[in-house]
Amino acid sequence: MASVAITPMEQNFLVPNGTFFVELIAFGVLLFLLGKYVIPPINRAMTARQEAIRAEFAELDEAKSEAEAAEEEFKSQIADARHEAARIREEAREQGAAIIAEMREQAQTEAARIIEHAHAQIEADRKAAVTSLRAEVGTLATTLAGRIVGESLEDEARQSRVVDRFLAELEGAS
Amino acid sequence: MTGLVPMEIKIGHHVEREWLGMTFNIDTIISTLVAGVLVLLLGFWATRSLTKDTEDHVPTKVQILWELVVGEVNKQVEDNLGKVHPFVAPLAISLFFFILFCNWLELVPTEINEHLHLLPAPTADTNLTYALAAVTMVSVWTYGIRQKGVKGYFKHFLEPFPVLLPLNILEELIKPITLALRLFGNIFAGGIMLALIGLIPLYAMWAPNILWKAFDAVIGVIQAFIFALLTVLYFAMAGAGHEEHESHEEHEDEQRKKKAAEAAAVSDEATPVPAH
Repeated sequence: MASVAITPMEQNFLVPNGTFFVELIAFGVLLFLLGKYVIPPINRAMTARQEAIRAEFAELDEAKSEAEAAEEEFKSQIADARHEAARIREEAREQGAAIIAEMREQAQTEAARIIEHAHAQIEADRKAAVTSLRAEVGTLATTLAGRIVGESLEDEARQSRVVDRFLAELEGAS
Repeated sequence: MTGLVPMEIKIGHHVEREWLGMTFNIDTIISTLVAGVLVLLLGFWATRSLTKDTEDHVPTKVQILWELVVGEVNKQVEDNLGKVHPFVAPLAISLFFFILFCNWLELVPTEINEHLHLLPAPTADTNLTYALAAVTMVSVWTYGIRQKGVKGYFKHFLEPFPVLLPLNILEELIKPITLALRLFGNIFAGGIMLALIGLIPLYAMWAPNILWKAFDAVIGVIQAFIFALLTVLYFAMAGAGHEEHESHEEHEDEQRKKKAAEAAAVSDEATPVPAH
């Protein structure tokens, strides 16, 4: 029975032969090489890339929040600047008004001073004129009156009296 | 069809060498090595051009391919096992790429009317699929026992009812066999289809050849995906419920079984297996 069975068994391709062990070893070697040298680096590369992508996303988020913070700061600074500008404008207006007021006061003081000065000058001139008139009008009037009345009015005392009386009348009239 | 087969096609024929009293299928071993070297080359190419140190972290094309698979498997493992298990994820990734390249080896063309493929897909040899299933299931059982303890793991065979013990044991034994034979059957069938197409006269052969190879390429992806996904799901089923609430665990376990069954059904429907 056994000798009869052997011949067809050898040709039956469903029954394994020595090749089985060769295949076993071959696949074992392949599995070892792939598992030790090929697959771990690929896994590492995949992990590294995922990490890189995650890191980039984190960076992106960070950059975004930073940009938002910067924008916020920028806005607040703009608001500050606007506020500052308004304050400066207000101050300038106040200062201008103060300067104008001061200048006006100065001008008025100056004007008052000039007017005062002018008044004093006029007064002095008038006094000088009056003095001068007093000196000359007497002589002129005496000469004139002497010529008209033919009477000598050479007397010093009389002459002065007449002139004084005339001037007093003149002043009283004015 | 039955008339053609004896003429040209030798099903399950391998170039064999005897060594240490065992038979070795040299063609399978060679194509396995080719596929393994290709996977390793692609893998080291990807790690060499890794972009983890560059500034912009833009991955290269090979890296995108690997990251697609690694990321998807990591996600599946995390969803089903609760974390990216340091053994399960590399196992599923290696299974996916290795099976994918094994399956696609068959698409490399050769001289007309030979086999239409330069190398036979090593996954069309049960030796390879049994080996992969053995690695998966031994790992699954080890994982289950480690997660639940010896007692807890074997207690699981008596649940939900002790009567179901034979069925539960049977299920554990069927898992590796279905894993292995599903992959083998799909790819083996693809090889037979190519051999049959190779019998068509040259002026008419190119159209079905191109169509079938395009279809076979998709089947190759689906089978690799199914194998890797089922591996993850079996791990999940083996480790389920060691920390969770009982009813919740049952529910999840059932869902996983359902998912696994659906995945298996999808993969089996994907290939119209020719009669042989």
